[in-house]
Amino acid sequence: MLPTPSVTRRPNLRLNAVSAPTETVFHAVLLLFSLFCVVPFLFVVIISFTSEESIRQIGYSFVPQSWSTQAYAYVFRIGDALWRSYFNSFFITAVGTALSVLMTLLYAYPLFRRDFRQRHFFNFLSFFTMIFGGGLVPTYIICKNVLGLSENYAALIVPMLFSPFNVIIMRTFLQTSVPTELIEAATIDGSGEYHTLFRIVLPVVKPGVATVALLNALAYWNEWFLALLYIRQNTDLIPLQYLLMKMQRNADFIAKNSHLLGAEAANVAVNLPSQSLKMALVVLIVVPIACAYPFFQRFVVAGLTIGSVKG
Amino acid sequence: MRKILALLLTLLLTASVFTFATAEAASLTPAELTIMFHGSNVTDDSAVLAKVNEYLKDKINASLKVIWGTWGDFDETSTMSLNAGDPIDMYFTCSWSQDEYNAYAKKGMWVRLDDPDNNLIEKYAADLWATLPQVLTDGAKIQGSDGLGVYAVPGYKDIATQNCWDINVDLLTKYGYTLDDIRNADYYSFGDILKTVKAGEGDSFYPLLVEGMVLERMATNSIIVAGDSGSTNLLSYYMNPTDISAEGPYGNVMLNKFATDEYKKFVEKTREYYLAGYIDPGLAVADTANDLRKNKQLTGQYLIGTQSYSLGYELQASQERNIHVEMVPCTPAYVDTTSSQGAMVAISTASANPERAMMFLNLLNTDPYLMMLLNYGVEGIHYTLNADGLVQFTDKRADYQPWTNGMGNVTLLTPTADQGKDFWDTFKAYYGAAKKIPIIGFTFDASNVQVEQSALVNVAAEYALALDTGAVDPAEKLPEFLQKLSDAGMQTYVDEANAQLTAFLAAQ
Amino acid sequence: MRAMNPGLPRHDSLIGSRRRKALLLASMAAPGALWLLLLRYLPMFGIVLAFKDYRAFKPNTFWNNILKSDWVGFKNFEFLFRSPDTGRIIGNTLLYNLTFIVLGLVIAVAFAIMLNELTSRFAAKTYQTLMFFPYFLSWVVASYFLLAFLDTASGMVPNLQKLAGQDVIDWYQSPQYWPALLIGANLWKNIGYSTVLYLAAITGIDRAQYEAAAVDGATKWQQIRHVTLPNLRTMIIILFILNVGKIFNADFGLFYNVPLNSGSLYSTTQVIDTYVYRAYMNSGSVGMSSAAGLLQNVVGFVCIIAANTVVRRFDPDSSLF
Repeated sequence: MLPTPSVTRRPNLRLNAVSAPTETVFHAVLLLFSLFCVVPFLFVVIISFTSEESIRQIGYSFVPQSWSTQAYAYVFRIGDALWRSYFNSFFITAVGTALSVLMTLLYAYPLFRRDFRQRHFFNFLSFFTMIFGGGLVPTYIICKNVLGLSENYAALIVPMLFSPFNVIIMRTFLQTSVPTELIEAATIDGSGEYHTLFRIVLPVVKPGVATVALLNALAYWNEWFLALLYIRQNTDLIPLQYLLMKMQRNADFIAKNSHLLGAEAANVAVNLPSQSLKMALVVLIVVPIACAYPFFQRFVVAGLTIGSVKG
Repeated sequence: MRKILALLLTLLLTASVFTFATAEAASLTPAELTIMFHGSNVTDDSAVLAKVNEYLKDKINASLKVIWGTWGDFDETSTMSLNAGDPIDMYFTCSWSQDEYNAYAKKGMWVRLDDPDNNLIEKYAADLWATLPQVLTDGAKIQGSDGLGVYAVPGYKDIATQNCWDINVDLLTKYGYTLDDIRNADYYSFGDILKTVKAGEGDSFYPLLVEGMVLERMATNSIIVAGDSGSTNLLSYYMNPTDISAEGPYGNVMLNKFATDEYKKFVEKTREYYLAGYIDPGLAVADTANDLRKNKQLTGQYLIGTQSYSLGYELQASQERNIHVEMVPCTPAYVDTTSSQGAMVAISTASANPERAMMFLNLLNTDPYLMMLLNYGVEGIHYTLNADGLVQFTDKRADYQPWTNGMGNVTLLTPTADQGKDFWDTFKAYYGAAKKIPIIGFTFDASNVQVEQSALVNVAAEYALALDTGAVDPAEKLPEFLQKLSDAGMQTYVDEANAQLTAFLAAQ
Repeated sequence: MRAMNPGLPRHDSLIGSRRRKALLLASMAAPGALWLLLLRYLPMFGIVLAFKDYRAFKPNTFWNNILKSDWVGFKNFEFLFRSPDTGRIIGNTLLYNLTFIVLGLVIAVAFAIMLNELTSRFAAKTYQTLMFFPYFLSWVVASYFLLAFLDTASGMVPNLQKLAGQDVIDWYQSPQYWPALLIGANLWKNIGYSTVLYLAAITGIDRAQYEAAAVDGATKWQQIRHVTLPNLRTMIIILFILNVGKIFNADFGLFYNVPLNSGSLYSTTQVIDTYVYRAYMNSGSVGMSSAAGLLQNVVGFVCIIAANTVVRRFDPDSSLF
């Protein structure tokens, strides 16, 4: 998203840029930090392909004694359930992100409009819930018993549709990138409020929308606790993250409590490729969302060029 | 004479209730029961539940829905459902799960089954009660929201505790020692053996493979006090290692676990072993200890380990680890409150149909057909019987693996081919011979000292494991630890426990 | 102001159109407001749990239990102050959070500006993608990574120390190293995320401002100081205020999983959330966990109001409300 400035600035590229040595320093700092960020993930990939014997012998290592795809074989053995949960995750993330971005934009826009008198009320309404909440059990009761969020897709989407944090972020984007004159001009042109928002404001604030969409998509993709709470019997609905989290939590529990559970559980524990499995699960979760990341980037970039043409 | 009479009466009642239940099944209104199990690995229960429901309809005119709780999620989902009053009729419970039997009985979450006004056991489950060993029915009797009574059906499973030294015999014999050298020694005199093996195996070999908390109990002959904090025990009850049913060195009294001479002696010895390189430093870190221990076991990289024993474990361990493993008992097998409450099923007070739930539990724990069906699945699909009539699982078993011990009376099950024909005879002989500790049935109720307990567990979590594995110097850390415990209200906690124990013993 | 414009509708219909506008704008906020009422405000009755000894009564329904459970005043809060370490725990929580806020802000803004100034579109894109990776990894996974380096028996650092003939540091028993490790871990995980926010804010800045500055002969540094930073001010202040509101809440996974729950490290790793968790695992008391949450919220609320009041005095445009 960032490089775009260079597109618009290209004509006077060197004129309006930091000096070459400074840029080299920037590169060095950013490169170092980026490596620092990505090496742990490579490490995870390596462990996921490490044989369990090697982990038992020498622990986690960048250079294992022997390689194995045992962990992936174990995960893929569950077959259909895995692909169904992949589908569920995509579905929940796509629908959830689309709806929540729309709701966030619709809520943040009036808050940004200084001529909307009730904006303080709506602002506080949202902000207050960032600080105070009813707690887990009461929320569970309301969702399940009052709103019927149980054993259905809605239970995995609705509880995360709205985030006051994202509203504030969106409002801040609107404040920093949409000039008041733009809206005034639109009003004078006789544009309706919804028309102004979607036809005039939205194109300008696309980087912000894409950022909020990214945050939402990540939140939906990583979510598993909702499935734990609300999907007990209709296991066809569980998302990937929960399926994998379940395996990991089972492996952890058995490792910690085998002395309580007798010979049978100890038996199960031995057959779990627990340590490489944990890492294989991480890889399976991270890869799709990491692949989606550049898509958001491009979206932001496109939004910016349109915005700058308009502005 | 009275016993025989009582037995006869029970038998009569059993028979009458049973015929009553079958004959009246049709006159019962249809009911739907939901049960939540622990530790399941079930992806397809349709075939099993179809059969179960067909059977239950005839027997008690009920249908069953199962929530297959798994190891990883049971604690969270069960407590959430209980606190929210979800319409689930029955829950797995025990002394170690988060929906802890005693605590949730106090909170009014479980139906009292032997309520004098509505004695469900007498009415619907007398035959079940007659089949259970007395240690279990005694152990289930606790102080709950409706007075002293039974709040769950105990599962008939491995009911005794026996801590053993887990010996890598291959390595032991390599250095010219025999199992008798272990049997005749104790923790404090392992030094020479450990030294020889450490010297022979090299610097990166750690001969002692311990779970800190278990090691502490083994070295000091203390037991887990039921109701004490679960994560890190604070109380000690010292038992008599030679005669389990007799009083121990301190008598029937609760002690601050960390303030006794025994504890001091133990941590000093352990520190000595740690500094000599006998204990892997990773065992002192809560989150690495378990993985590390499993890895070392499976690769045979240890000489002496600690193990809470269950029948036949040495054979299984030898197979898994590809070495010859033997278990050398530290004390005889004993039954305490904790082990007698190892696996139970309770009826929730949010159940709309506690009577029918009781009928179901009675059936599950007395009817081999139903128990087999729910546990091992459908014959011909999930398992087959071999020529000797023993169970052999098919590939379909992978889709349907409930946790056997968490369901009920496992002795109803047909033995598997691996277990062998007379498995249950050996089982009953071993566990039947286990002796009771003098304070069996006592459960500490920490609700009056919950504030202190919360502070104390945090203090204990800071020091106990590091001291129990020798990773820190007791000369410096033990006094610091004791001071902090005392600041956090340890004396109040111990006094409360002793007051309750005195009252308990007086009532007996 | 629009009323001043000529050619607008007559006065009475102007009021009508104002009301219409307010209604339209309110209708935009309506779905969010409804969601907030149902999923956030309705459950707030649960706050009473912090002052109750929650248990089941007959009939066992949640509403009935809440009604009949005894009021216990502030008893559920007591466990937070009973520990001999209360001062240390609160101190750790506040100090770590302050460090995270300050360092996180400075570094993320610096990175966002650096990325924005790179002439290579490809490099900037790549860095930014890579910087986001830690955000995908859970603290549990991060803790394994750290363990591979620090494990006393087989970790890379102790192995190097052995090779060099130095004394091996037992990292997981030595609390003095952990403030640095935890701060590093927190920055590693979260910098990418906040950098994205600042970067998006920078890309939203009107290009004309830079061009005008360049025409006036401003150097790049002057442009950053006088155009970029002022435009980022709102975002910086808003994120700052929001973080201040969470000053009493610690990132549980960072403080629990990364030190592998090692007891000997508590003097520098125990924070409010880990203390409450360890107590809750033991008591399972809904009342005590509600009480701890409520206390954190109240403190957060006070801090956020204070921060917002200060901001509003100096920069009303950037305040939260």
